[in-house]
Amino acid sequence: MNRKPVKLIIFFVLMFMISCNEPETVVTNYVHPDGSVTRKIEMKSIEGDKNKRFKISEIQVPLDLSWSVKDSFALSKKSDTIWYRTAEKLFKNVEELNLAYKADSGANKGLSRETGFSRKFKWFNTEYRFYEKIDKNFSSGYPVKEFMNDDELRYFYSPETLKEAKESSADSLKYKALGDSVKLKTDKWTAYNIISEWIGEFSKLTTEKNDEEISFQSLKSKEPGFVKVLEKEDKGLDSLWKNGIILKMFIGEKNALKYRVEADSALSMVTKKLMLDFSDYSLRIVMPGKLIGTNGFIDSSNLLLWPVKSDYFFTEPYEMWAESKTTNIWIWLVSGLFLAFVVSGVIVRVIKKD
Amino acid sequence: MKPESEKYQKIINLLKESGPGLGSTEDIERVVIRRISKGNYSRSWFSDTIDFLFSWVYIVWVRRALISASVILVFIFILQQGVILRRIDMLSSQTILNNREKVSTQVDEIDKLFIEYKNWGKRFPSKTITISEKQMQELLESVNELKLKYKDLESIIDSDPELQKMIQKKLNENNRLKINL
Repeated sequence: MNRKPVKLIIFFVLMFMISCNEPETVVTNYVHPDGSVTRKIEMKSIEGDKNKRFKISEIQVPLDLSWSVKDSFALSKKSDTIWYRTAEKLFKNVEELNLAYKADSGANKGLSRETGFSRKFKWFNTEYRFYEKIDKNFSSGYPVKEFMNDDELRYFYSPETLKEAKESSADSLKYKALGDSVKLKTDKWTAYNIISEWIGEFSKLTTEKNDEEISFQSLKSKEPGFVKVLEKEDKGLDSLWKNGIILKMFIGEKNALKYRVEADSALSMVTKKLMLDFSDYSLRIVMPGKLIGTNGFIDSSNLLLWPVKSDYFFTEPYEMWAESKTTNIWIWLVSGLFLAFVVSGVIVRVIKKD
Repeated sequence: MKPESEKYQKIINLLKESGPGLGSTEDIERVVIRRISKGNYSRSWFSDTIDFLFSWVYIVWVRRALISASVILVFIFILQQGVILRRIDMLSSQTILNNREKVSTQVDEIDKLFIEYKNWGKRFPSKTITISEKQMQELLESVNELKLKYKDLESIIDSDPELQKMIQKKLNENNRLKINL
């Protein structure tokens, strides 16, 4: 059985899927009232080699030859050439967009992503909802909100530009402290998730054995102790796991020997999930009508923005949604006339009664 | 008494016979009838229309149904607008980014043109540049904005003698560094 060093897992979690060649990408969905979506991908690269630049396999979202592509370049302040590619395509509906996601061969092809659109007629207004959702990576992890308070959560989900701006503002000390706190808690949360996921996978593999000592509940009760070992023995984890010491501490000497193969397999599965390729990008949504709700960030152009990072869909689905409304003017007119008619009728009746 | 009563009767007969000459009685009759009928017709048409339009007010169940529908409509309107306003208010309290997350800008195109300008011996290559009306409008607006800013800058420099001296000094330095072609 192929044993994956635990240290490697931590390394992959901390460095989570960072690659160098992928372009800096911003994806914008222009949602139309009929449910069609114009999708625009703006990419930026400093890669000099024409053949390596904007390779479809390195682009974060689906892109193929059916898109209309426009290339341009500019010089940076240091006179380096920066390459830009803008691709645009009109999708008739979200189903078409979902099909593109399913057929994606880009940098994030391993992810399960979907979009949705709904339109509700609410007499005076018509309300629209659009979302893009990325499925969670870990099945037995903990929601990040269990580890952070509201301020920390807000910081955790903030785009890098906002974090940088805050850390260089008048309240820089406060935000730096907040940033450090978020980092520490993120590490703790990650450690708990790895252990929890391993417990989940190990329990699945050993469920048929009906052994009380290695049942899911029993393993869960030992979880905090295991996390402490993981945090304390940072450097020697690899050898501790190889020698079976960690496993012995966790499930006892007898079980460590008995279930060694299952324990390694579970660790291998956790590592595979952690090693899923992912490349960060930003998503923007432009809704029809007036915006009435969102869980994203609003920029100065009144556009919505979400940073898309692997941490966000680590243990929970990451849904980026926006809601807007348009006013049904003809309904306002009809309703106004109806009200005037009824009120006039009531007045006429009062006059005639007198 | 008899001759007196005879005299009276004669006078009455005489007066009756010598009444005012109504040569146009038909005209008078027509005018009077028209005026009367006109007045009556106008009043009844308006009244009829009102009665027809609002006849439902005399039918209890229709009247109640329409009033209820109106109340419900007003209630829905107030409720919907209240919810929407509250949600918009909540949105305004959400974080607003100062800078727009943007990969490419219009400036890129200008950079590209400058590079071409330099590469082609400070001449633009002979080709057709297509520019949309919107882009043209944006260009004109930015030029106007630049002019205004330039004017503002000039007035700031003019009003501050120290700044004026500093800029003059810097300009002189720059001129010394320039190679006179």
